[in-house]
Amino acid sequence: MPSIGTIAYYLVRPSQLRDIIQWKVWHNPVHERDEEKECATLKECFRFLKLTSRSFAAVIQELHPELLVPVCLFYLVLRGLDTIEDDMTINIKKKEPLLRKFDTFLDDENWTFQENGPNEKDRELLVKFDNVSKEFNKIKDEYKVIIKDITKRMGNGMADYALNAEFNKQGVNTIKDYELYCHYVAGLVGEGLTRLFVEAKLANPVLLQRPELMESMGQFLQQCNIIRDVREDHDDKRYFWPREIWSKHVDKFEDLFLPENKEKALNCSSEMVLTAIKRADDCLFYMAGVREQSVFNFVAIPQSMSIATLELCFQNPAIFERNIKISKGDACKLMTHSTQNLQMVCEIFRKYARKIHSKNSPRDPNFLEISIACGNIERFIESIFPTQSARTLKSASEAVDPEVAARQKKEAEDSKKDIMYIMFAVGLTLAFVTFTMVLAAWLAGARFDLAIKMVKDGIWSPPKGPEAVQQIIEKYDGGRGEL
Amino acid sequence: MAALKTTDDGKSLGHVLVTGGAGFLGNHIITLLTKRAACSKITCLDIRPAAKPVDGVDYAVGDITDNETMTQLFSKIKPTAVIHTASPVFNNNNREAMYKVNVEGTKNLLKVSQETGVRAFVYTSSSSVIHDTVSDLINADETYPYIMDDAQPEYYTTTKAKAEIAVLAANRTKEYPKFLTAAIRPSGMFGEGDVQVLPPGLSAYYRGQTKFQIGNNENLFDFTEITNVAHGHHLALAALLATSDREASGQALPLDHEKVDGEAFHITNDAPVYFFDFARMCWAAAGDQTQLSQVWVLSKDFGLFVATLMEWVFWLFGLGKPNLTRQQVKYTCMTRYYNINKAKQRLGYEPICGLQEGIRRGVKDALYRGVVVGQPMELKGKKID
Repeated sequence: MPSIGTIAYYLVRPSQLRDIIQWKVWHNPVHERDEEKECATLKECFRFLKLTSRSFAAVIQELHPELLVPVCLFYLVLRGLDTIEDDMTINIKKKEPLLRKFDTFLDDENWTFQENGPNEKDRELLVKFDNVSKEFNKIKDEYKVIIKDITKRMGNGMADYALNAEFNKQGVNTIKDYELYCHYVAGLVGEGLTRLFVEAKLANPVLLQRPELMESMGQFLQQCNIIRDVREDHDDKRYFWPREIWSKHVDKFEDLFLPENKEKALNCSSEMVLTAIKRADDCLFYMAGVREQSVFNFVAIPQSMSIATLELCFQNPAIFERNIKISKGDACKLMTHSTQNLQMVCEIFRKYARKIHSKNSPRDPNFLEISIACGNIERFIESIFPTQSARTLKSASEAVDPEVAARQKKEAEDSKKDIMYIMFAVGLTLAFVTFTMVLAAWLAGARFDLAIKMVKDGIWSPPKGPEAVQQIIEKYDGGRGEL
Repeated sequence: MAALKTTDDGKSLGHVLVTGGAGFLGNHIITLLTKRAACSKITCLDIRPAAKPVDGVDYAVGDITDNETMTQLFSKIKPTAVIHTASPVFNNNNREAMYKVNVEGTKNLLKVSQETGVRAFVYTSSSSVIHDTVSDLINADETYPYIMDDAQPEYYTTTKAKAEIAVLAANRTKEYPKFLTAAIRPSGMFGEGDVQVLPPGLSAYYRGQTKFQIGNNENLFDFTEITNVAHGHHLALAALLATSDREASGQALPLDHEKVDGEAFHITNDAPVYFFDFARMCWAAAGDQTQLSQVWVLSKDFGLFVATLMEWVFWLFGLGKPNLTRQQVKYTCMTRYYNINKAKQRLGYEPICGLQEGIRRGVKDALYRGVVVGQPMELKGKKID
């Protein structure tokens, strides 16, 4: 039962409620899990999926049957890795080999891990990890190779960061480091998924030849999260915003959170948004290479959510105070539109690019760069879905045959005549009103003769006070003294 | 990319004649070519002497419409290549002069060049030749048709289009098969020395008009920093000469998708921006502190209404040109940006000066020159950062 607060919220925002209802009622999954055919261990895996991810669980479960289980397991394996990395109660000496060897645990169907701290929210996944490895060993070898390769590289990357004392104390230093970090935690996922899609023949193999596209897919999502979570990460003493960016605006990272630095903090956050949004056109390009609807939905929904999140964070001082989220109604609307086709997703990107642009402040040091980046998204969309081309122009001009031209000419002349008539009518009305007013004034005894004489002598302002009036009368009217 | 290689390996473009070399663009082309030591010799040809002559450049004064003088000059100096930028100022109301200089002058130069053995000819056209001054241009490429004569309200543009057609038609004619031509179509040129974009834009700031916006500012517009336009000319010229050299050494003709001769190229900063954002960046560079929350947004229709009213009132009382005209409102609310993939692919073009850097330099220069109406005169001649 929803709370009174929730009911009141939607009473004043009916369109949000409408978006939610539309998504719930009209969204039909492209594919559905066939639970009857699933064995106990697989069922357990899907239970973990729902437990560990709210946002991905739904889209993964709608994936094409060929990829449903591999992607679910890929997610759980990475989540398991992440749970070890995140756990600050595990000693680094113990943590490092665990991260580096994590891919080998998949071979051992009995491997489980009990030593997570009691507060680690996904600890159950590792406690019962044997379910995951058992299912993992049933999938096709091609998929296993990909998942293990990515797990190994990500584990090594995480281990390097865990050992890096400077990173742990100071956070990310340069923009290059920042992108490298995002590469390990997200770019690699993009690579793994793309290889899975191509292997399953659900995406264009060309995607593998343009690695910067899949890299951007991961970078875009991760950078959006890093921008949105700045407050939460700061409270947890994790610093992902690169020093190279924030040091341009404030001396110490924590200064971003001081109310007196509001404008500086916003300028800093817009530089972060700028770094992320430069990837948006790559993401659209990538999505053009996806061949199957469920895979498209799977990749498009998070991207749409991310650009909406970027827009929400852009020039929004609230990100430094609390964790902000796009509203549920907006999320449902985004999901409805992201599960159709590329053109609809492009429309989302164009809409949010324009929203970002409309909040862009000329006092921001990156004002023009942000404007260019938003314009670039629009231009890219035009390059894949052109609204205009030489052909559309020509057809418009060729359509003008002599008959139509003659008619248009006549219409133009008619409208010119109409304007003349209107002007005439306006002039007539004005003349009539003027005449009536002058007449009324004259009937009431106005002395226009005196006024005209005064004007002739160059006196434009009316006389002030009875004495001045008397003087005027004496001067122009021979002192007859009659008003 | 062939073009870039020719310039990079220091191969000389030979003796280059730049017409209109004392003008805004011509001067930048001469400066760039000199700085890059790209030519064995540069001659500047203009109707008036240059205000600031560049060291090592020859200066000639002459009228491009005069066949005799031009033949004499060309026979004497024997240029390898011509970059033809000369053109009367856009706001010229003298139709005859525009036709004479742009069309007849260009045809005369082509003829003289062909007769005196010039190998390559690059013409500065205009991105407006495909624009009717009213419609939107969205990512427009070079396949768009010319808009001329009755369809073209700006007579100046008609003359530029006719000249461009003549230039491209002169490429590889039967009579002169080795004479190669190309045209560059820049869009919204601005930069150091400019009189048409930055000075009027900045004077809006000094008149206190930064708090108004007409239209929703969702229209993208192309502006091009002047050194990028100069760079585009250099690349085109180098590509023509490279083609010419290749043929002279017996190699194959360029393929259709790499051909530069006989082609027109759009040149921009490769960064379309929302119209008012460009203006606001210029104002900010001059010190404007306006916040978005202070800006009044007027609809396009309302803007047109006010402009019409002002035009009538100014006309009625003979006050000259009003502060706001309908054409200005239309341009302010218009989408006008170009696809420059052709220049990127065939010329290897990439902008060498970013928009922001260009604005910073250009604004500084305009205030230094003191050409902004209403600017504080103490800024004139003063170096600022």
